[in-house]
Amino acid sequence: MEKKDQLFKQIFDTNSKKIFHLCYGYTGDEDAANDLLQETFLKVWQNLDKFRNKSLISTWIYRIAVNTCLTYLRSEKRQAKDELTDKIIEDRPEELSEKNEQVALLYKSISKLEENDRLIITMVLDELPYNEIADISGISEGNLRVKIHRIKLKLTELYNQHARI
Amino acid sequence: MQEFDHIQSLWQSHSVEVKISSDEMLQQAKKEVNAIRNKSLLNIVGMLVSFVAIVILWLCFDFNSWTTHVGLTLFLTAIATSTFMLYKSHRLLAQHDFTTDPNEFLGNLKDYQLSRYNLYSKMYWIYTIALSLGIALCFFEILSYFELWAQCLIVGFTFAWIVFCSTLVRRAVMKKEKERIGLLIEKFERIGNQFKEQL
Repeated sequence: MEKKDQLFKQIFDTNSKKIFHLCYGYTGDEDAANDLLQETFLKVWQNLDKFRNKSLISTWIYRIAVNTCLTYLRSEKRQAKDELTDKIIEDRPEELSEKNEQVALLYKSISKLEENDRLIITMVLDELPYNEIADISGISEGNLRVKIHRIKLKLTELYNQHARI
Repeated sequence: MQEFDHIQSLWQSHSVEVKISSDEMLQQAKKEVNAIRNKSLLNIVGMLVSFVAIVILWLCFDFNSWTTHVGLTLFLTAIATSTFMLYKSHRLLAQHDFTTDPNEFLGNLKDYQLSRYNLYSKMYWIYTIALSLGIALCFFEILSYFELWAQCLIVGFTFAWIVFCSTLVRRAVMKKEKERIGLLIEKFERIGNQFKEQL
């Protein structure tokens, strides 16, 4: 039991930041990202005995996180998270440095993408190898490359659009 | 892709803060897993206790009418079937495999939600009808031991309780469940379309 606890803590310390990044990219909301992070690691704990070293443990955890994000529903129904980002920008302008403002715009741009694209681009931004992203998202590597190219273009376009406003 | 490189460097340069430590996460995971298990177990234990209580009642009292025996049999069958369904549903829930790829996972989840919805709506009526019939049959004999005012009170209260559960409670639960499942299915369909290769 002690061994499982130790392994879990080690897994959490190694992967939590990247998984949080993924959840944050998906929801655009820090609190929701924290909830999703915890839900993901709860499932990691529940399924740890199932892990058979067929893939990297990080790939396995990403897959759990992606599935957790895809089934995520807010209790107050789906709320467009760009509204939230707008609210943050309007309510706390003094807290936003130029860089933070750019980061907020980036999250806002990501939020305009489709759910699946948000997850893929977050992994691309975190520099995960393409074969790993393909494995996590269940899309063939060839198709994934085309998809990533399109998402990159779309995100850049959205980011520039928002930056101009 | 110069512009995308800028986006990427911006993404990587901003730090995120995970609010929970590995120790806290471990504690919470253990607590939550136990809570889920306990809740489900409590549900099943509650049904088993009712089952045992009715069996004891049946064995300890010398019922004379055949209607009481048929009523109690109906009661026990309804409770046993519901307990089995609860157990099956608990097992299904535990089998949700978050470790499979998103396509497969969402497909399985959609099937599961639909079957749960069907089960929930049909099973409720079968359960209520079986219980009501069981109560009615038992009442033929049991009520004869009471005075008229007590008979009226018992019948009135039982009837009101069944009507309350079948209308207000059922409607509220169904509405909540329908909304949740409807939202999930709508979401699965939208996400499912995103997974279709757009080449």
